Amino acid sequence: MSDTSVLSELNAVVLTIAVATGDRVQNGDTLIVLESMKMEIPVTAPRDGTVAAILVQEKETVEEGQKLAVLGE
Amino acid sequence: MNWRAELQELRLREQLAHEMGGADKIKRQHDGGRLTVRERIDGLVDAGSFHETGAIAGSATYDQHNELESFTASNCVFGRARIDGRPVVVAGDDFTVRGGSADAAIHEKSLMAERLAAEFRLPIIRIIEGSGGGGSVKTIETKGRANLPGGVGQSMLFHYTSANMAVVPVVALGLGSVAGLGAARLAASHYSVMTKSSAMFVAGPPVVARVGQNLSKQELGGWEIQTRSGAVDHAVDSEEEAFACARRFLSYLPNSVHELPPKLDGDDDPDRRDESLMEAIPKDRRKVYKVRPIIEALVDRGSFFEMGAMFGRSIVTGMARLDGRAVAVMASDPYFYGGSWTATACQKIVRFVDLAETFHLPVVYLMDCPGFLIGIEAERAATIRHGVRAMAAINQTTVPWCTIIMRNCFGVAGAVHQPAGRLALRYAWPSGYWGSLPLEGGIEAAYRADIDAAADPIAKLAEIEQRLNTLRSPFRTAEAFWVEEIIDPRESRPLLCEFARLSDKLVAPGPSAFPVRP
Repeated sequence: MSDTSVLSELNAVVLTIAVATGDRVQNGDTLIVLESMKMEIPVTAPRDGTVAAILVQEKETVEEGQKLAVLGE
Repeated sequence: MNWRAELQELRLREQLAHEMGGADKIKRQHDGGRLTVRERIDGLVDAGSFHETGAIAGSATYDQHNELESFTASNCVFGRARIDGRPVVVAGDDFTVRGGSADAAIHEKSLMAERLAAEFRLPIIRIIEGSGGGGSVKTIETKGRANLPGGVGQSMLFHYTSANMAVVPVVALGLGSVAGLGAARLAASHYSVMTKSSAMFVAGPPVVARVGQNLSKQELGGWEIQTRSGAVDHAVDSEEEAFACARRFLSYLPNSVHELPPKLDGDDDPDRRDESLMEAIPKDRRKVYKVRPIIEALVDRGSFFEMGAMFGRSIVTGMARLDGRAVAVMASDPYFYGGSWTATACQKIVRFVDLAETFHLPVVYLMDCPGFLIGIEAERAATIRHGVRAMAAINQTTVPWCTIIMRNCFGVAGAVHQPAGRLALRYAWPSGYWGSLPLEGGIEAAYRADIDAAADPIAKLAEIEQRLNTLRSPFRTAEAFWVEEIIDPRESRPLLCEFARLSDKLVAPGPSAFPVRP
């Protein structure tokens, strides 16, 4: 299976990062929580896999379409 | 004496038309994973229901005895057919005949298909591939002159391309590469679908390369670009799925504005109370929830049909049924900017409520809107301009309207939760939370002097917030009759079904007071 990029669906600020590189995650697990309009918006794993990379930091501003994390096998 | 010989010639000419662009071109079409226009029409409409008009129109050559030597059909194939037993017009581009562009089309065929839809009040499905009857620079050489777009004798097709939207349902399917007039005919529709292998653009890669962008068809106008931009409503994996989407969309609509939407026998208990609604809205106001399961819990089981899911995503729009009646459903999606109205969400709302108004569909709005999106990007996007257009579109509707306030209702965007100036039904869930503007920031604005005068401004701010929060119960608002009814969320479906039944007598066929724009 090739790597899967996890993108931000909106402009937001990274509130918390819920996983670390190397963590095993399941489809639907929260990877990152974004904040927009005072709401906490979870970004979830699109499939089972291992977190290959986290590309953002807490408090960082992200844009719609920006790559947040990479899921490996 | 009889006419057998003439009929034989007619059948021969029809047979030649069915050969389309020839075996090689058909093979190329199939090798590209695409059906021919005739296979598409067969896949779209009820079996055997297609009655073609102008099949033998095209260009022919004759030998020295004036006998037919060769024949190439027009690349516009159109006629009447039925979908789920209801009459429709289908017009498809034949890409196997010179790429489906205008130099092989007979202009009058596309035009007659549109006129047939308008004058016989039939929905039209445009199957678009290529430039959809638009031009090619080759015509400069073949005709010996340059075409004036919209010039003498040409304007009527442009007229019907948008004007038909105020008369009949217009569905457009983009299957393959779609450019120019084809792209316009795809976008000028109530509902458009493309396959994920297709691409749609104003001008294709070779033309775009000349303005310095070297992009593939997919990079320029693939489904991810066009569904997120809102130019196309939906993308599917196969052409068969596109046909299914077209049939499903039409099932909610009348044949024209001169009729009312078809009513089915409801197959789901109108009094069904879904327990999941008790815990649908989180108590923590910073937490989001999925709105689509709420819609599914409220409408007739399996009846929700979403449109435009990738665009203006803080608002979900689609058709559904309540006790068998077709309704237009809008719902806030807190996953996108907390459900606030962005510039694109407002554009989506305008188009959607115009559709509901045009075809006499009652509107159900499940709202959780903290206001317009705020911040510099929102200002740059002219959110307020698009916002007041959405407000005007909602206020201009005359179809029955019912709103359920699920949670937030703030500011001007909150105020536009029902049409102003006429009575709509409104219910609030106990999770309702509202105000002119949010406390966060709102307190600093309104209590500046108190906060500045305090020894501990931060403590003062917290104290004021605490004080105001104790007054925020929706019951206090209901006590003053500022909101008429707070309901158990589980009562929502019975009440929405009642609304749909009440609406039966409130909608009348006929053209809307304003013709809809694409």
